[in-house]
Amino acid sequence: MKIGQQSQQELRRHLGSQGLRWSVGPFIVHLRAKVPNFPQFLHTFYGENLLLSPPWDDIADFHLTLHPPPGLRRFWRPKVHFRLDGNAFFTPFPLDHAPPLFEWGLNMAIASRSNHYLLFHAAVLEKNGNALMLPGTPGSGKSTLCAALMLRGFRLLSDEFGLYCPQQKRFMANPRPIGLKNESIDIIRAFDSQAILSQEFPNTRKGTVCYLQPSAESVHNAHNGAIPTWIVFPSFQESQPTYLETLPQATSFLRLAANAFNYETMGATGFECVHAMIQSCSVMQLRFDRLEEALSQLHTLTQSTQPTVPT
Amino acid sequence: MLQVFQQPERFPELDAVSQDLVLRQSRRAHLLGRLEAILREKGLLDRLKPRVRNHLISARNLVREDRRMLTWEVNRVQRALWNTGLDIILLKGGAYVFLDLPMAQGRPVADLDILMEPKDFPLIEACMAQHGWEQAKLHPYDQRYYREWMHELPPLRHRVRMTELDIHHTIIPKTSRLQPDSRLFLSSAQKIPGHPGLKTLAPTDMVIHAAVHLFYDGDFDKGLRGLLDLDGLLSHWALDATFWPQLLPRARVLNLIRPLYYALHFCHRLLGTPIPETILAEANADPQAPGMVARVVMNQLIARIMTPGNPDRLEFTSWLAWSLLYIRSHWLRMPPRMLISHLTQKGLRRWRFDVRNRRIV
Repeated sequence: MKIGQQSQQELRRHLGSQGLRWSVGPFIVHLRAKVPNFPQFLHTFYGENLLLSPPWDDIADFHLTLHPPPGLRRFWRPKVHFRLDGNAFFTPFPLDHAPPLFEWGLNMAIASRSNHYLLFHAAVLEKNGNALMLPGTPGSGKSTLCAALMLRGFRLLSDEFGLYCPQQKRFMANPRPIGLKNESIDIIRAFDSQAILSQEFPNTRKGTVCYLQPSAESVHNAHNGAIPTWIVFPSFQESQPTYLETLPQATSFLRLAANAFNYETMGATGFECVHAMIQSCSVMQLRFDRLEEALSQLHTLTQSTQPTVPT
Repeated sequence: MLQVFQQPERFPELDAVSQDLVLRQSRRAHLLGRLEAILREKGLLDRLKPRVRNHLISARNLVREDRRMLTWEVNRVQRALWNTGLDIILLKGGAYVFLDLPMAQGRPVADLDILMEPKDFPLIEACMAQHGWEQAKLHPYDQRYYREWMHELPPLRHRVRMTELDIHHTIIPKTSRLQPDSRLFLSSAQKIPGHPGLKTLAPTDMVIHAAVHLFYDGDFDKGLRGLLDLDGLLSHWALDATFWPQLLPRARVLNLIRPLYYALHFCHRLLGTPIPETILAEANADPQAPGMVARVVMNQLIARIMTPGNPDRLEFTSWLAWSLLYIRSHWLRMPPRMLISHLTQKGLRRWRFDVRNRRIV
């Protein structure tokens, strides 16, 4: 049963009692929530994800709650707390900001408990079984490019994490709503009028945030990983010509290692994975000003390069 | 969860819901890495579902990073103190790792604790400052609190690596009612084979220190881990025939029978640590051992906080036990007048901090 096949009332009932369990790529999330607008968000933006029903034959990776604080604070400037295994990691958000709180909370949960993967701060998409990774710092245009590529038929693996599995030598898929910030919201709205966007959440710590629904194809194929093939560091620079250049291997190594959240935690494995990647992938830098030009460069790149399979 | 730590063979047989609970309780008790090491040693990891194994591998990578950090940090401290010719006595986690004790496998380490002689402190502090360690607590009250009353210097933090270093001169605050002669710890410290310039406390002292730390320091968030440390130490040193006969006499000389009594009692009662009956009886009958009332109360409180409960929330009884033990550890730490003045200072600072921040917001 998919989340989208349940009515919002059913979702609300389950969230308020024993909670809902669903899979997001390699992870199983268990969420209990008593927040009015959240079932609607879940229904639309996780609609294609499979619900798991009891009896559970596997553990859940993350036990999460979204609850308003007890007592009178329920009525005066109502807030919502995010907890992972009963621990609050964030200061509470306003009650109607439950969706960004959940998304960032889940990111934090994944980042803190996935040290069996090498974790890149990157968007990852797939074309013909090959992965295009866009590692980026905030403001580099990573999410905007990622959203546009998904809307043009690339399969979304992840907007936030490159989850690289050292054993399978692949990126794992973790397709979730893409978080668009500030200017990029209108850019994507203009780019594709069919795109399904959430309401805007103003005044968050990252400015205004809005979520884009992941494509159904991406969610249906979430069990399939992809082989790292192209690594492109995007760099949005106003009034500069669009330019895609190959990076020297030494630079590629340092930039990739610095991009991985847990490079040091992974020890020798981290070094070996990054080494294998710079050997087998084309590592490039994309400076861009206009979205369409950047997309055409990436289309050409992902069609021309012969994929190499790392051994 | 305690059953799994005693009989790891049972873990793969448990259903998913029970395994989930054990993982969550272990994580909360800072014992997930330890669980992985125990299961790996028994060759049980391959019998687990991938999802369960992944959580354990993730924890393993984290504790391995801790261990690398610790080893490197010891190397850096040795380098900073190289010209002084002083030996460095490693305490707690650092000692367990450098002695390569089985219980150090998978045990997380947050910072490095060393024991040095107070007469060398000016020299040591100058060397550390020169090599990039800075004061982690700059507030004048904190500085005075540590220097006048505590068993360690104010904590240092390395400017680049952000790792913390605690330099102790004894194992229990100067203001505490129990006052062991710290020279005894220093004079019986032992060289670590294969690591010139590094020492650890003698085995008996290491057990006594772990007991003091657990039952007198008030760090009960890591209570179960502390008890498992003691279980690991006792089980390991029990292999040495000279260990048991020396333990109680040593605690008597140091005036630390009371914490040792609790350590032996609770290891035996909650973890089934193999402690000779004669030792338990002797500790029990010692005139310095706690009285009846203290025993009954401690039995209730310690059992309460050592038993991992619902991982989603702290139960009221656990909270109450935790709070009472916290108050007790402060009570033991300093005389009442000083305690009141200390809490007032801390409270005022927190209040001022809150007020200031509210203005900014």
